Amino acid sequence: MTLRVAAGAALLLAGLAGCGWAALPTGATSQATLMRTDWTVFTLTGLGVFAIVAGLIVISAIVWRRRGDALPIQFRRNLPVEIVTTVIPLVMVVLLFALTYRVESAVERLTAAPAVVVDVLAFRWSWRFRYPGKNVQVVGTPQSPPEMVIPLGETTRINLSSADVNHAMWVPGFLFKRDAIAGVHNAFDWHPERLGTYVGRCAEFCGLEHAFMTFSVRVVSPNEFARWLAARQTRAAAPADAPR
Amino acid sequence: MSEAALPEPVTAALARRGILSWISTTDHKRIGILYMCTAIGFFFTAGVMALLIRAQLAVPNQSIVTSHQYAQLFTLHGTAMIFFFVVPFAFGLANFLVPLQIGAPDMAFPRLNAFSYWIFLFGALLVMSGAATNGGAAATGWYAYAPLSGIKISAGLGQDLWIIGLLMASISSILTAINMVTTVFIYRAPGMTMWRIPIFTWEIVATSLMVLMAFPSLAADLSMLLIDRHFGGHFFDPAAGGSPVLYQHLFWFFGHPEVYIMILPYFGVITEIVSTFSRKPVFGYTGMVLSAFAIAGLSMGVWAHHMFTTGAVSDPFFSAVSFLIAVPTGIKFFNWIGTMWRGSIAFTTPMLFAIGFLLNFLIGGITGVMVASPPIDFHAEDSYFLVSHFHYVLGGGSLFAIFAAIFFWFPKVFGIKLNEAWGKTCFVLEFVGFNLTFFPMYFLGVMGMPRRVYTYPNLPGWGLLNSLATLGAAIMAVGVILFIANVVASVRRREPVGDDPWGGFTLEWATSSPPPEHNFDWLPPIRSERPTFDYHHPELGKESAR
Repeated sequence: MTLRVAAGAALLLAGLAGCGWAALPTGATSQATLMRTDWTVFTLTGLGVFAIVAGLIVISAIVWRRRGDALPIQFRRNLPVEIVTTVIPLVMVVLLFALTYRVESAVERLTAAPAVVVDVLAFRWSWRFRYPGKNVQVVGTPQSPPEMVIPLGETTRINLSSADVNHAMWVPGFLFKRDAIAGVHNAFDWHPERLGTYVGRCAEFCGLEHAFMTFSVRVVSPNEFARWLAARQTRAAAPADAPR
Repeated sequence: MSEAALPEPVTAALARRGILSWISTTDHKRIGILYMCTAIGFFFTAGVMALLIRAQLAVPNQSIVTSHQYAQLFTLHGTAMIFFFVVPFAFGLANFLVPLQIGAPDMAFPRLNAFSYWIFLFGALLVMSGAATNGGAAATGWYAYAPLSGIKISAGLGQDLWIIGLLMASISSILTAINMVTTVFIYRAPGMTMWRIPIFTWEIVATSLMVLMAFPSLAADLSMLLIDRHFGGHFFDPAAGGSPVLYQHLFWFFGHPEVYIMILPYFGVITEIVSTFSRKPVFGYTGMVLSAFAIAGLSMGVWAHHMFTTGAVSDPFFSAVSFLIAVPTGIKFFNWIGTMWRGSIAFTTPMLFAIGFLLNFLIGGITGVMVASPPIDFHAEDSYFLVSHFHYVLGGGSLFAIFAAIFFWFPKVFGIKLNEAWGKTCFVLEFVGFNLTFFPMYFLGVMGMPRRVYTYPNLPGWGLLNSLATLGAAIMAVGVILFIANVVASVRRREPVGDDPWGGFTLEWATSSPPPEHNFDWLPPIRSERPTFDYHHPELGKESAR
């Protein structure tokens, strides 16, 4: 009976973990691949800790359920056990921090010479993408979200700020977001490893149209990127498409 | 004029029953009851808001409420649950229990105590009254980030009422914390040394110290916001040299200790209940006390883990300190298991809620360690993953502990026992409903659903997971209705209950139910942290004493 319950619980946990795997985006940048390692290690460790601790709680409750009026043994402490149960979590968090530190340093590292630079300005309620020196700019509205195009296999530097309230630029497919705050200039790199179009959203509540403050990032081959840039430059020359 | 014709002293008239006696009371037990009943009133209000939120999100592209109404709903839901329910319920319970547990006749400053309650009540009503103004209630979320909450964008009176109401609530919390600490340090009965104080009271001491360190930062932040809005300040205006990041620093310097302010008292509740229904002393009493203070101390150095994505803080430092909090929390978990180990565990309603608390809070704690890692937080921050995480802590944790506390101490407070069968049904509904509501949100979060969106597109899986969450919320609501029915029916039946229906360990179980105005006619000798137990088990002699 207890065995069957344990097997059922283990199966349920494994099933939930599987669902989690399916739900978590693959990660389309080299940074995202690194961060996904962090997700994997933490999720598996968490499931292990949950299985052990929840198992101890439920098993203790069942094994030592009240069976009579006799007073159980009245012990208060067990120093060796208390030391071990303090040291084990301590060692675990130190190891988890070491992993965190390594991954974060790699994710936050800025390339000296990025191939593409995009200046992003968040405003209520859309985004403006500027390619400095290229005379290209894309401005969106909540009804027609803007699209950012970046080349595959090369590093794109994003410079992010806000024109008004706090926003956050989130691309779930890249497992990454960064806040856009007026007066703060954030910079980060994306190194896309997969072609495709990735949806982006504002993650920091910014008012009425927050839910529609979306954008997309299209990762294309370097050649296609050059063509796209050239086409936008020609269009930008026409006064009808003048920047905001 | 004869002496008999002299008017009766006002105090004597007020001391009798009736509404005036409740308004003028300085009795810690009555103030505790006022706090707890008010808090539960706000729980129902904020719960109805949660149901409206879940109804709106039940299926994609819905429009039961408008975007602006939705923003007011989540702002008031969060504000009320945090500031007007979870915190004041803890202080209400502490008001009732702390003097009883340490064998004192009342709190150190009874009139200050009454003042704290009334200023809290009016502050809370002020915040909620925003909903009746023309522009509606505050609609900037429970942390009201500037510049969104500035006068240029949120010009309405609702935001001002929110600021002033919360200022009043923070003053109330600070005064109560001073009262609690003074009471515990000075008003203990003879024999009640510090190392014999029940764990619940210890947790309240640690909580009060955190309140004293954290709430002034909130009061400063709110005052600065008010000055920016109406008196020409530029604290948070980057165009004039101010900084929106400063608002976040001051807010979270309060906001993260606040998270522990909302959980430490309930760690105390769970400790008392697990110990009582295992019929064993608390395992690792010293570890329990030290871990509470370790959490309180570390909590002052983790605030910027709410700001990992701002790019304006030292992520590794705040990540490391946040991870460290897992160690004292782990000590508590192992001590709860140690308390149950080889015990004689009775599955009463309070104990079931306590076990539910342990399982839910465990999930909340584990996901808390996950989001303390910046590379994970970069994806999880401000997504439904985070929404689920903190609901597992505050809903699956604190709320379950509150239910446990109500079922456990109701006989002491009112001399009436709540119906056990209905209570257990209520537990099952809450446990199933809670997990059905919030577990799917972890998946929604990693799939990319941001928090505070009033509607969402029909993406694969999003509709189904959101519908499950709404179904879970409905189940929880049925459980709450059953709880209300239980209280009403039990109060009507008035089933007599003894002074000590559970075989309690601490001093509150040594006096009558409800306790007399001066709390104790008589005190058992205090030789350990379980004086009532020692008194009932003289055969154990010295073996039981610490």
